[in-house]
Amino acid sequence: MRKKYYHFFVIPGMLFLLVFNYIPMLGLIMAFQDFVPAKGLTGSEFVGLQHFVYMFNLPDIGRVIRNTIVISLGKIIIGMLLAIAFAILLNEIRQKFLKSSIQTIVYLPHFLSWVVLAAVAVNLFNLNGLVNSILTGFGLERINFLGDNNVFRKFIIGTDVWKEFGYNSVVYLAAITGIDAGLHEAAAIDGAGWWRRILHVTLPGMLPIIMLMTAMNLTTILSAGFDQIYNLYSPMVYESGDVLDTYVYRIGLVGRQYSFGTAVGLLRSVIGMALMVSANKLTHSLTGQRIY
Amino acid sequence: MRKKILRSVLSTGLACSVAFSLVACGGAATDTDSQSVSDPEEREKVSITLGRQTTANPKFPEGDNYEDNAYIRMAEEELNIDITDAFEAESGDDYNRQVSLALSAGEIPDMMKVASKDEVRELYENDLIMDLTKYYDEYASDYVKELYDSFEGRALENVTFDGMMMAIPATASDPGTSMCWIRQDWVDGLGLEVDGDGDRCLTVDEVREIAKAFMTGNPENAENPVGMAFDISLTSQGSDGTNSINAIAYSVGAYPRHWYTDESGQLIYGSTTEQMKEALSIVRGLFEEGIVDEQLGTRTWDDITSLLTNGQTGVVFGSWHIADWLLNNVYTLNNNAVFTPYAVVSSEGKVNCTHSNSTGEFVVVSKKCKHPELAIMILNLFYDDMVNSDELLEKYPEVNDYLNTGVDGTARPFNIEVKSNTYLLDEYSKLKAALNGTGTKEDIPTAEEKSNYDAITAYNNGTGDVTGWCKIHSRTKGVDLLSYLTDKGLYNWVTPIYPETTNTMETNWANLQTLEEESFIKIVTGAVDIDEGFDTFVKDWKAQGGDTIASEITEQVTNN
Repeated sequence: MRKKYYHFFVIPGMLFLLVFNYIPMLGLIMAFQDFVPAKGLTGSEFVGLQHFVYMFNLPDIGRVIRNTIVISLGKIIIGMLLAIAFAILLNEIRQKFLKSSIQTIVYLPHFLSWVVLAAVAVNLFNLNGLVNSILTGFGLERINFLGDNNVFRKFIIGTDVWKEFGYNSVVYLAAITGIDAGLHEAAAIDGAGWWRRILHVTLPGMLPIIMLMTAMNLTTILSAGFDQIYNLYSPMVYESGDVLDTYVYRIGLVGRQYSFGTAVGLLRSVIGMALMVSANKLTHSLTGQRIY
Repeated sequence: MRKKILRSVLSTGLACSVAFSLVACGGAATDTDSQSVSDPEEREKVSITLGRQTTANPKFPEGDNYEDNAYIRMAEEELNIDITDAFEAESGDDYNRQVSLALSAGEIPDMMKVASKDEVRELYENDLIMDLTKYYDEYASDYVKELYDSFEGRALENVTFDGMMMAIPATASDPGTSMCWIRQDWVDGLGLEVDGDGDRCLTVDEVREIAKAFMTGNPENAENPVGMAFDISLTSQGSDGTNSINAIAYSVGAYPRHWYTDESGQLIYGSTTEQMKEALSIVRGLFEEGIVDEQLGTRTWDDITSLLTNGQTGVVFGSWHIADWLLNNVYTLNNNAVFTPYAVVSSEGKVNCTHSNSTGEFVVVSKKCKHPELAIMILNLFYDDMVNSDELLEKYPEVNDYLNTGVDGTARPFNIEVKSNTYLLDEYSKLKAALNGTGTKEDIPTAEEKSNYDAITAYNNGTGDVTGWCKIHSRTKGVDLLSYLTDKGLYNWVTPIYPETTNTMETNWANLQTLEEESFIKIVTGAVDIDEGFDTFVKDWKAQGGDTIASEITEQVTNN
C-alpha cells in the first residue's frame, strides 16, 4: 500500500476524460430534441424518436447501410489478414536495416491525409491514368475505377487497405515479438518446418491480439471512412459507394440539422458497442479469454 | 470525429448566444426618446443600432473599422444620426446564426440585414419588424423607386406580406444565358467556319460539329482531346451555370432546378419535364459519340479547368464572367488563347433564359425602431446620392477614396446592392462608348468599370496583362453578347417562382437533389435506359416528396 499515492497521477487523465468525453455526452439529448442552438439543450422541444423514425424512412437508407457494412467489413477483414501476414513476413527478415526501411515505407501512407491521397489515386486510376494506360498496354479493357458501380467498392477497400495495412501491422509485430522464443525452438526440434511453426506457434500466440483487434474494429463497422469516400465518390457511384457518413453529410448539411446528425451518431455508437460486447462474449466462450 | 466537430460548433454557438444577448439588450436600450420628426436638420440626433455583416478582409485604411469608417461617418453627418453596431459577424453561417439568435430571443437591432426570405417571414410572423410601406412611398427617391421598378414588380413583391412592405430588398440582376465559349485561335488555325451567318448564335448541332473538329484537329497535340466537359451536377440553378448543360437544356425549353407555371397555371418543376428528357437524350447522344468527356461524372470542376489549360478541350459553357476567374488560367499558360462566346439557340432561333431570383437579401427594420424612415434615407443616400451626386463625393473625399481603393461593401450600413436590373448592360454601354471614342472615361459611372477601362486600354497598348485579357473577354465579348441579345430581342424570358423553403423541402430537398443528380448522370452516361430511367426518376421524385412540395408551393403562391 506504499504506492497508493501513485494513484493520484491518474486524476488529470480522469479529469480530461470527464471533461472531453463524458460531459459532452450530455449533448446526446439533442438526438431526442428538435434542437435550436438559440434555445439550447434545456429549451429545445423534445420530439422523442422522431429523428430515428425519419432516418429509417429515408428512401435510400437501405442501400446506404448495405454499402456501409459491405465496405467496412471488407476493410476490416482484408485489412487484418494483410496486416497479420505482413507482420509475420516482416518478422522473418533478419537484416535490420532492410526491416526498418520496409517498415517506414509501408507506414508512410497512414500519415497522409485522404485529401492528398485521393488526388493521387484519381490521377493514377482515372480513365487516362497510369493504371489504365498499363492495362491498355497489355491489350486489356480499361476499367472505370471511379465511375463503375461494379468496381468502386473494391477500389475503396483496396486503397484503404493499402494505406493502413502497414500501420496496422505494428500491433501484430509486437504480439509476435512477445511470443516465447522457446516455443519456436521446441517446435523446430520436434521437426516442425517454417510453415508449421507459423501455424502452430505464431498464430496461436497472436490469437488474443487478433481477437482484441477484431472486437475493436467491429465498433467502427458503421463508419466506412468519410474522408476517403467523400473525396473519391460522385453521383455515378452513389449506388455502390454512398455510405452512412457521406449520406448524412449531404442530407444534414442542408438546414444544419444538428439533431438528426446526433441521432445518427448515437445509433452508430450503440450498434458499435453492441457488436463489441458480443465479440467479447464470443471470445470468452471460444478461447476463455476476455478482452476487457 | 464528426460528432466532435458538431459539438465544438455547438458550444461556439452557445458562447455567441450569451455574448450576443448582452449586446442586444444594450442595443434596445439606446433607442432614443425623440419625437418622430423626420427632417434630419430639425430633430435631435438619433441613435440607431445595426446588425452588421462583415468580411475577413474589408481593406479599411488604418484606423477605420466597421463602426467608424468613411461610409458610416457620412451617414451620421448627412442624416444627423449616431450608428452603433448591435452585432458584427462574418457573412455566411456566422452572421445567419446571429440573426436566428436575435430572432429566437425576440430582440433585433433597429435595422439589420437578413440573408433569406424565410427569415423575413419568420420575423414578420413573430411581429418583430416594421411595415415600411408608407415610409417607402413617402421617402424613397424617384431614382431608388426606378431601380426597383426595373424588376417589373418582382423585387418589391418579394418583400410584400399581406399587402405590406416588410423589408428593403437587395437586388440581383439577371446574369443572362450560359454561353458557349469557343477557342477562336483554334478555329482560325484549323480554318473552321463558325457562325457563318454572323448572328452570334449557334445551335447545339453546330456546337457539336465544332467540338468534333477540335477533337480531330487537336491543335495543341493534347494526349486525350475532349470535345466538351460538364460538372458532376450537370445542371445549375443559375441560368448562366458554368460547366453545366443549362445552355443545351434551355435550348429545348427545359429549365432544370426551376419552378414555374405552364400556360394552364399548373406548377412545374423543370427537371421533371419531357423537355428535360429531351435535353438529357441530346447530351447522352453526345456522350455516346465520344464528344462529351468519357469521364463525365467523376471529373471535378478543377479537372475541367485543367482540360482547358492543357489544351485538351476548346469548348466550355459558362457565364459572361468566367473569363475573369476561369478562362484567365488558360491565358496565363498560353498567351495565344482567345475565346469567343456564342449563345445557344432553340429551333425557333430564340435564346431561352430564366429571370434570376431578383432578391435574395433584405434589410429589415425593427418594430421598436423610432425612426423607420431613416432606413429609407440610408437607402437613398447610398444607392442614389452616392451613385448620382458628384457634390456628395466632393463633400466626402474619403468616401470617394473608399470607392476608388475598393474598400469592401460591407463597410456600408447596409451590406446590400440595390441596382437596376439592367445595370450590367447600362454600365457596359458607357464602357463601350469610352473604348470606341464616342464617350469618355469620366462618363463611366462606377469605379469598377473605370478600372476595367484602364485594364483594357493598357492591354490594347500592348502590355499583354492578364487582367486586360480577362476584361476584354468578360466585358467586350461576354457582356457585349448579352447586350446584343437584349437589343436584338433574341431572348425568350421565363419567370420562375422562387419558393420559400417549405416544411417538406426542409426534410426532403437534399435527398431529392441527390436523386436528381444521380439519375441524370446515369441517364447521360448510358447506365440506364433513357425512357425507363427518366420515368423512374420522375416517379421516385414525386413519391419521395416532390408532389407534396409542389402542393406546398402552390399553397404558398396562392396565399401571398
